[in-house]
Amino acid sequence: MATIKENAPMTAEEKKVIFSSSLGTVFEWYDFYLYGSLAAIIAKQFFSGLDEGSAFIFALLAFAAGFIVRPFGALVFGRLGDMIGRKYTFLVTMLIMGASTFIVGVLPNYASIGVAAPVILICLRLLQGLALGGEYGGAATYVAEHAPANRRGEYTSWIQTTATLGLFLSLLVILGTRTAVGEEAFADWGWRVPFILSILLLGVSMWIRLQMNESPAFKKMKEEGKTSKAPLKESFGQWKNGKIVLLALFGLVAGQGVVWYTGQFYALFFLTQQLKMDGATANLMIAAALVLGTPFFVVFGKLSDKIGRKTVIMAGLALAVVTTIPVFKMMTKAVNPALAAAQASSKVTVTADPAECSFQFNPTGTKKFTSSCDIAKQKLAQASVSYDGIDAPAGTPAVIKVGETVVSTAVTPEDIVAGKAAAEKKVADLTAASPADAKAIAAAGVAVKAFDVPAKAKDAVVSARLGAALKAAGYPAKADPAKINKPLLVALLFWLMILVTMVYGPIAAMLVELFPTRIRYTSMSLPYHIGNGWFGGLLPTISFALVAQYGNMFQGLYYPIGIALMTLIIGMLFIRETKDVDIYASD
Amino acid sequence: MWKVVVGFIIFAGLAMFALMNGGEVDMGGEKHGADAVHAPAEPAKKP
Repeated sequence: MATIKENAPMTAEEKKVIFSSSLGTVFEWYDFYLYGSLAAIIAKQFFSGLDEGSAFIFALLAFAAGFIVRPFGALVFGRLGDMIGRKYTFLVTMLIMGASTFIVGVLPNYASIGVAAPVILICLRLLQGLALGGEYGGAATYVAEHAPANRRGEYTSWIQTTATLGLFLSLLVILGTRTAVGEEAFADWGWRVPFILSILLLGVSMWIRLQMNESPAFKKMKEEGKTSKAPLKESFGQWKNGKIVLLALFGLVAGQGVVWYTGQFYALFFLTQQLKMDGATANLMIAAALVLGTPFFVVFGKLSDKIGRKTVIMAGLALAVVTTIPVFKMMTKAVNPALAAAQASSKVTVTADPAECSFQFNPTGTKKFTSSCDIAKQKLAQASVSYDGIDAPAGTPAVIKVGETVVSTAVTPEDIVAGKAAAEKKVADLTAASPADAKAIAAAGVAVKAFDVPAKAKDAVVSARLGAALKAAGYPAKADPAKINKPLLVALLFWLMILVTMVYGPIAAMLVELFPTRIRYTSMSLPYHIGNGWFGGLLPTISFALVAQYGNMFQGLYYPIGIALMTLIIGMLFIRETKDVDIYASD
Repeated sequence: MWKVVVGFIIFAGLAMFALMNGGEVDMGGEKHGADAVHAPAEPAKKP
């Protein structure tokens, strides 16, 4: 069944297979970035009229759409793919994803149809999450089952490059629409255009996929009547396969997920939220690193065909374990040297009753951490301040000490009145300034409004006190653009991208090669989505909780490092090299 | 292969150009939980 091709160029048919499979993942990523860039507008259009209780339920459902439904979709569509075939399952996932995206673009908002609008939107996102669960496994399986035996790494690695294409496509459509219609119209109705335009991508993808043939491996198996009757039971209910699923998760994908999230998403969060770099420049630097790094998916995919998938992936994990902290420390000095200097020179402490301090893990974003200790630690973590914790007697409100300046977290009603007056004065001063800074005025206006919400007022008072103390201690409010070493920053981000490409480039081929054809789609889809969705997707929230807990902005990196190290050890000990495996041997 | 490389360079170049020309977007990817449903507060009116 498997063919061997040494350095022969891809045939037109093989290119078409890769192209048609990758289009689905372009779609996936296009959506992923649309929902990121347009999150504030979508929330305003669909959720702003909800009361607190309904908003809580919708927040949980939005969490479920991203984290729970996808692995479930992996099971649903994986099972279908192993029973009725890759091609038709593939068509269904694409159709559901594309139609859901398009319908979001034409869905009436809350102002038009009330609570039905967010209900339908969440249903569409759940549906989309379900389809997404079946997309990657299908693409990887389909391409690998068409690829020559000695070039599966190279062929499947093309699928990974689609993440960058999806990102750039979303950027071009969003920015193009915004420029064409103007900011106000974009916020009003123009945001719908990127969703509606996805119908073109869907049309092309469906047309191409309809012309494709079923995977030869599946076709042969079906003709011989050897397809699985119960792929879920075979994959997870039989220890010989279930064991490999667990090893694939803990010995491969978990580490790949965290290295990927660290390099692409946590790095952006770190630049903007911890190093206080402006969002536009940070996005540009990340995009530059992505452009430079993307071809390496194929380079490492191809290399894995020569020296082995395990070698490349484990080397990427090992390098990530060793270099992540030094790279992020270098990034701090390259972007915000004043922050690095302030962290080194000023001593900050939080004296608090330990019983009041929580581990601030908040994956759904619905928990409120309102004790004085939690607020103090939250504020310091957000301000990128390193601090030491000191235990206080029970019942004592938390006190922050910046050098010799004491910042109390106890807030009286008079403090709130005074705080609001100061915030209003700031708005007036900014408005009177010439030239007026519209962004600063808007931000100051939002700060004034916070004093009208009791839950936020206390927070705002502590923020104002802490801001003044940190400023006096030399902590910069923003990274100074003139002092950013951009070439060094791009080089560091590029290195993180190289690590991503090392662990991600060969992963599809390796997962495919671990499982027999009859249960391949099901078996590889679930660990992929749990590894990337849960281990990777929860990285920002776990890392923030670690930063707040331990008082050091680099502490959050120990989560990805720990997971990568665990994966490295399990992978080295228990995962076998698969590049020379005959994927049809057990059929 | 060279066509893919050229196509990628043009495509990436266009996206970078758009970003450089004041493209304010969020490349952090889709939001989940409360982040996905929380509408930002309106700024206060000028006093």
